Amino acid sequence: MDKRQLYDNFIAIEEEMKRMLSSFETIKSDMTGVLENNAELEIENQHLRERLSEIERQTSKDFNESSDANLSKSRQNLEKLYDQGFHVCNIEGMYGSRRVDDEPCAFCLDLIYGEREI
Amino acid sequence: MEFTINRSAFIKQLTDVQRAISSKTTIPILTGIKVVLTASGLLLTGSDADVSIETFLSVEDEANNLTIESTGEIVLPARFFSEIVKKLPQDTFSLTVTDGYQTEITSGSASFNINGLDANNYPHLPEIDTDDNLIFSGSILKQIISQTVIAVSNQESRPILTGVHFVIENGEFLAVATDSHRLSQRKITLQGANDSKYDVIIPGKSLVELSRMIDDSNPDIEMRISENQVLFILGNTSFYSRLLEGNYPDTSRLIPNESATGIEFSAPKLLSAIERASLLSHESRNNVVKLAINAAEQKVVIYSNSPDVGNVEEALEFSNLSGNDLEISFNPDYMKDALRSFGQTEIKVAFTQPLRPFTLVPTEDTTQFIQLITPVRTF
Repeated sequence: MDKRQLYDNFIAIEEEMKRMLSSFETIKSDMTGVLENNAELEIENQHLRERLSEIERQTSKDFNESSDANLSKSRQNLEKLYDQGFHVCNIEGMYGSRRVDDEPCAFCLDLIYGEREI
Repeated sequence: MEFTINRSAFIKQLTDVQRAISSKTTIPILTGIKVVLTASGLLLTGSDADVSIETFLSVEDEANNLTIESTGEIVLPARFFSEIVKKLPQDTFSLTVTDGYQTEITSGSASFNINGLDANNYPHLPEIDTDDNLIFSGSILKQIISQTVIAVSNQESRPILTGVHFVIENGEFLAVATDSHRLSQRKITLQGANDSKYDVIIPGKSLVELSRMIDDSNPDIEMRISENQVLFILGNTSFYSRLLEGNYPDTSRLIPNESATGIEFSAPKLLSAIERASLLSHESRNNVVKLAINAAEQKVVIYSNSPDVGNVEEALEFSNLSGNDLEISFNPDYMKDALRSFGQTEIKVAFTQPLRPFTLVPTEDTTQFIQLITPVRTF
């Protein structure tokens, strides 16, 4: 009798695990969907931001002369990298390393916005 | 080796030497203190390989009350030795090295026996083979150190920036430190340094230790620089520090030459306002306060916002506001450090653009001391 019940319990647990596995799979595929959606939204958001800043630049051109409009293409690239949280200065070979806690770096800003005699 | 000495005079020197001794050193003998007894006096040495401190107790100085029975040298475990000496019962104590490196310390009826080490195994101190020296007044040097070390980087991944850059040229002395977020620079005219030309980087930690040793009784400090070491001489004490190798980045171009907006504050009042604003900024993820300057309405307001807690807004007291309107965000902790270094004085803050660093200088003398803070970009 006892042995029989033990076996039944095993069957029950097996069923339970199978059910859990299948729900795992559904959750996983759901999550993949959400992540994809998130990436798409992020890209769309970036596009919208770009569009927005473009519009802002057009409307308030004289307000802030330091805005991207005056930067050369290569400086804009550096600015983009900096804004993503990386060093663009090369003090002690730091170029491309992560800015700790996104703290500002005076050397990077000088490279991006500073005057440079060529 | 055997001598008797005044305990309080000895403890005073011992404390200075102990600053250099670290318990975390990788060279075991450096946890010890080297005691060398010659006919002219007693030489104590402590070192952690980066910083070495040496001090001399002369037999001629009556305050030391030094009597020498026989000369010699020994290395004693610094921590035990100093604790023992500090707790001895009488005004004087005697130290005797007996068999091998057994050392007997006696004072009154108390007697300690501790194991020493062979002083021949102690590393040699760096040699500074120059007579070219620079003289600082102790209080000025202490001030320069305290004003610059605040901006030193504590990230070991950027070794050069953990030091303070000392440049001596044309009779002018310049000390500058930056961790790339902020910068602090102090300039003085140095008497009697007309021909000297130096460009060295001294570890910030060494300078902090040095400044702790400068008290009011040290009026003048002599500095000597060799290829990879710097030596500071304070009376009977010599302080050696390793120099950092490498080239310090060009910081002169970080300091803006012109400004678009200028404004004056009382440093202590601005400091308390920033302290209030930072109460909330510390709770938020990016720790920034925003400063909004409106030149037309003559209004300056700081804001800080922490989404979970709430926000703060404060109109600031200021004078002589001129230039363009501006909104700028920055880390309040850097601002606090900078403002504290000014003490009770009026300061002038100069901004160029919202994304470029801004500067703080004393209103009275705008060239000798400058603090620079890099703003945070907010979206």
